[in-house]
Amino acid sequence: MPEQLIKPDLNFVKDIIASGGESLKKCYQCSTCTVVCGVTPDEKPFPRKEMMYAQWGMKDKLISNPDVWLCHQCSDCTAYCPRGAKPGEVLGAIRKMAIKNYSAPSALANMTADPKYLILLFALPVLIFLGIIGSLGHFSDIPRGEDGGIVYSHFIPVPYIDTVFILASAFAVISFFMGIKKYWADMSAGMQLKGNVMDSLKATIVDILSHDRFQKCNVTKDRSTAHMLVFYAFIGLAVTTGWGVLYLYGHEIFGIQGTSLFHFGETPYPLYDPMKIVGNASAFALLLGMLFVTANRMKNAEKAGSGSYFDWLFIVVIFTIVVTGILSEVLRLADVDPIAYIVYFIHLVFIFFLFAYAPFSKMAHMVYRATAMVFARHAQREG
Amino acid sequence: MAAENTKSILVVGGGISGISTALEAAEVGHEVILVEKNPYLGGRVTQLNKYFPKLCPPNCGLEINFRRIKNNPRIKFYTMAEVEKVSGSEGDFDVTVKLNPRYVNENCTACKACVDVCPYERPNDFNFAMDKTKAVYLPHDFSFPMRYVIDDKYCKKAGCAKCKEACTYNAIDLDMTTRSLSLKVGSIVWATGWSPYDASQIDNIGFGKYQNVITNMMMERLAAQSGPTNGKIVRPSDGKEVSKVVFVQCAGSRDENHLPYCSYVCCLASIKQASYVREQYPDALVTIFYIDIRTPGRYEKVYLKAQKDEKIRFIRGKVADIKEDPETKNLTVTAEDTLSNQKLHEEADLVVLAAGMAPNTRNSKVPADIAYDTDGFIASNTGASGMYASGCALKPLDVYSSVQHSTAAALKAIQSLAGR
Repeated sequence: MPEQLIKPDLNFVKDIIASGGESLKKCYQCSTCTVVCGVTPDEKPFPRKEMMYAQWGMKDKLISNPDVWLCHQCSDCTAYCPRGAKPGEVLGAIRKMAIKNYSAPSALANMTADPKYLILLFALPVLIFLGIIGSLGHFSDIPRGEDGGIVYSHFIPVPYIDTVFILASAFAVISFFMGIKKYWADMSAGMQLKGNVMDSLKATIVDILSHDRFQKCNVTKDRSTAHMLVFYAFIGLAVTTGWGVLYLYGHEIFGIQGTSLFHFGETPYPLYDPMKIVGNASAFALLLGMLFVTANRMKNAEKAGSGSYFDWLFIVVIFTIVVTGILSEVLRLADVDPIAYIVYFIHLVFIFFLFAYAPFSKMAHMVYRATAMVFARHAQREG
Repeated sequence: MAAENTKSILVVGGGISGISTALEAAEVGHEVILVEKNPYLGGRVTQLNKYFPKLCPPNCGLEINFRRIKNNPRIKFYTMAEVEKVSGSEGDFDVTVKLNPRYVNENCTACKACVDVCPYERPNDFNFAMDKTKAVYLPHDFSFPMRYVIDDKYCKKAGCAKCKEACTYNAIDLDMTTRSLSLKVGSIVWATGWSPYDASQIDNIGFGKYQNVITNMMMERLAAQSGPTNGKIVRPSDGKEVSKVVFVQCAGSRDENHLPYCSYVCCLASIKQASYVREQYPDALVTIFYIDIRTPGRYEKVYLKAQKDEKIRFIRGKVADIKEDPETKNLTVTAEDTLSNQKLHEEADLVVLAAGMAPNTRNSKVPADIAYDTDGFIASNTGASGMYASGCALKPLDVYSSVQHSTAAALKAIQSLAGR
């Protein structure tokens, strides 16, 4: 083996410990974890070597390591670990630090990871939406719809919503793009990559759609179903959003007229409209999925660890979005003024939080894990 | 001055530690009562094929001790005996001992006539149920006392009584019942020993599920002349000879989910057993998967010697998965070679688990108010005046160290009585 000079980054070790990997130092390198792991390859398997890198403070070996993302935190390793070193949680902490490392601006990443700044992060969307509502004079006298019902687009008109969310999303996309670019460069440094990356991308998409890897989990096998529900619910909600855009702008720009089934034009749409059906079904799938996610976490806490602030913030945000989303619709139909508007306001604030801070929150797992999976295939690490 | 009988010492457990304690105390003039749960003395050592440090068979060593016991009128021993109750205090303990019925009295000459006629069988616990004995049986070839015993879980007693008819020495007494014995002693030494950790608790390595996954203690019986295969190491599933044997170190030991501590002897035991395999099968390949090889002190030489054997491989990585091919009953053992960073799937025809030592007090405490450590061993300071522990009741030990601890325990028991 070639000689290697190790320069331990002690602050990195401290950061991992502070980020939920406090059991890190218990590891004695027996590699039970690697053997019981259902998703690791045979060549240079994880997570035993990552535990060593982490103990030794070898930041470079971990932050740009695709293996930390190939891990799906099944927690089989944690359940069987003879030392209670919780490799699953340690790798979770390393992933959180990888997100922090790659997502720009890093100040925002530090704020998202630290409960101290939570109020400040929420203050931004709260002020934006309060500003819009105030400027429209909609703190009272919110115009009703033609049939006298609550119409949220009269409360905060669509152009305002679109502007805010397009800006927030654009910010997230740019930040993600910069992060991924740097991450890919770090991963591929010194490597000879052959073949077409598009093939790896296609195969990875199939992997993700089928949740193949997730299903190899043993101790926490229920997580696959829960995640699948949440995942497809998000796809359903994305489709709904696109559909809504089509209804609104298809009508306004291209003059498409609604039919008795497809209601091109302005909100609100009747419940039997296919778009509404897809949207509501997705919302309930998301609610159900999140209930499963939370229940699984509670159930597996003893074997798999109870999760960090980072995990729970993400869960709470999505939970609030889905609950306020469903409630907004119910309260609107039940005409509960002003609670309906307040709930809708909260809904918007949390969606903003999810979108704008996606590159820094656990939402970023979606992008980094997918990238790592593509890279692993491309580098013939697996596949 | 207290009564004369309070000068006596009770030793609980008749294994190598209890025997050593009893002899040391008796040979300086104390009355000693030794009680043993099994129908024979010698404990775990009797089950070994060879033992450290000289790799001699257990009768070498035990034989001398049995002779010392026989010749010493100050030692009184009871087999099939269990301490039920202890009361009183240092210098004046009242102890109740339960004597389980053996159904065979001292007339027995071990002629075996009873066995020949006995129609019932029982799993042979001495050989970890790898073979069977009749309901009337000799615990093992070197049994002390050399006397048969009847297992009343399998014997039909008066409903059969064939053995009673066959016995020409009038040695069988099927009406024997449990008796109670009251003792007055001055001090007590608990030498309650250990049991192999129940490897079926380790759900990922297949013990109890796959026939060819055995424990290190089973391997001792397989290799022993007096064992179920007359000393031939073969696969339990089909009796076939072995060519690839894998040893799994720390099977239960150093594991918070099982035994959190190092069992101290297993590394040496596996290296010793690797030599059993190598002696019987010169072409067989032995692989020992380990976390750290621990061969303390001068035992390091044993490790160095084994390392020179090119048919013995040491691989650093813990086995955490074993699968069986249901057709061939061969096993695939998975571990990461942590030095080359590669997951290995090793084929084996026999897998030996280095199962650790669990103190017998882990699951059943002694009937006295004494202190235990977090692992269930008796604390070296028992917290009760006049009560001491020795051998593997204290911590995992080899025979050599057990004897040393036993001498120390005997001295403490004697000191406790001095000047009374």
